[in-house]
Amino acid sequence: MAYAYLFKYIIIGDTGVGKSCLLLQFTDKRFQPVHDLTMGVEFGARMITIDGKQIKLQIWDTAGQESFRSITRSYYRGAAGALLVYDITRRDTFNHLTTWLEDARQHSNSNMVIMLIGNKSDLESRREVKKEEGEAFAREHGLIFMETSAKTASNVEEAFINTAKEIYEKIQEGVFDINNEANGIKIGPQHAATNASHGGNQGGQQAGGGCC
Amino acid sequence: MSKIRGLPPAIRDPGPGVELGVENGLLCQLIHSPEFNLFSDSVVFESTFIQVTKQGNWMDAYERSATIILGVTSSVPSLPLPNILLMANVTWPQGPFSTCSTLGAPVITLSRILPLKYVELQIYDRTQRILRVRTVTEKIYYLRLHEKHPQAVFRFWIRLVKILQKGLSITTKDPRIHFTHCLVPKMPNSSTETTPESSRPASSQSSETIMLLAAERAGSSVLDLSNRHRFSEDRYTDTKTDNSSNCKTASPVASLIGMPMRATLIHSLWEQEDSCETLLQAPVASSLGDNFLGP
Repeated sequence: MAYAYLFKYIIIGDTGVGKSCLLLQFTDKRFQPVHDLTMGVEFGARMITIDGKQIKLQIWDTAGQESFRSITRSYYRGAAGALLVYDITRRDTFNHLTTWLEDARQHSNSNMVIMLIGNKSDLESRREVKKEEGEAFAREHGLIFMETSAKTASNVEEAFINTAKEIYEKIQEGVFDINNEANGIKIGPQHAATNASHGGNQGGQQAGGGCC
Repeated sequence: MSKIRGLPPAIRDPGPGVELGVENGLLCQLIHSPEFNLFSDSVVFESTFIQVTKQGNWMDAYERSATIILGVTSSVPSLPLPNILLMANVTWPQGPFSTCSTLGAPVITLSRILPLKYVELQIYDRTQRILRVRTVTEKIYYLRLHEKHPQAVFRFWIRLVKILQKGLSITTKDPRIHFTHCLVPKMPNSSTETTPESSRPASSQSSETIMLLAAERAGSSVLDLSNRHRFSEDRYTDTKTDNSSNCKTASPVASLIGMPMRATLIHSLWEQEDSCETLLQAPVASSLGDNFLGP
């Protein structure tokens, strides 16, 4: 499917905060309570519409586990947006935000839009981090903030789409140079021949031939 | 050789790897496309597999067979061995009245990128042409080479697995030589990969960490994960012939000479165990070991 822009997102945060579940909820609209530990990068993609324009989100779901941390740093390159996720029921995941943010700032372009996400908002009875604390952290560091639940899908769409809106606004304002790939934005294919090589809601590349 | 260097790509002999579909294939085209633009200077060795289960007579893992393209590549072409594993799903868009003969063109979707140091490749069943892919987190895939591939392709995979396990003559086996990238084992007591204790999240003590560390250690001792990321240099020797000036050749020394700074940087970002160390230790040069100095 043709798109006007492609935005690269990266999802970061401690292990077990629900990064992969957020991605699955956003791309497949389903929740999977048990998920394999992510290694390297797992990819997801979805088309959204902003201001009447088709935008493809190419989402890089990274490993939160400390042992993979040095590798995760390599994935920031060329990201237009980042979802920095913590778990509202685990104070330690909130305490580590500063480290994640330092990594993100150091290894990405300075214009990258960062959405801070307090996930697992459905587990109110086990909450360890107040919403106001998340808001304050976001305000202090210039981030957008939302609380989400990958389980109930609460605010999941909004988290991804609001990040894209912020990126789109920066494009309109001329903050992002869309011709510089380092900004994580690509202009979509302009002609039919190229369009034919991008198929499906999940994106990818079509090839000639069939299975039989 | 110099004449070929000046020819446009379309005129070059595509080589047997391309003809067999293991080089410049669909996965390679996808990751080199503007959409991903990854490892653009490196060749990709790839094949199509069907995911199967261990149960029964190698029935397909899913009711509708899951077709996967598996590939290996290098974060920079000058590495003597590959360090990246790529996995992509292949699907065929279907309308409600589609039949097998009317399926459209397949859609290739990149699903995972894994550092090879966290993966063990094993030939599980030669007769059935089944490859076993195991990650340090104990995720295991059994992948049967697609029937469209000739036997020569499976022999490439056998060779690759062997080289990954045993290395090549150009790759050092000396564990005392400290490398900053994945071709080299982590010493059991090494602390080079981690951030200082004070900045390490408490979650590193989680059960997942313990499982991961246990898996890594098991991998180091039993599977020789740490010392096995060896590139199929021979494969490139076979295919490069007069194309040694091609920027995608895997010839380490040739590539090193012309390696752009950007590639070095990308390499260090993909491979670094410690960002400061990487800059100091010239990982690509050191990866060549004493062979870099010549005989």
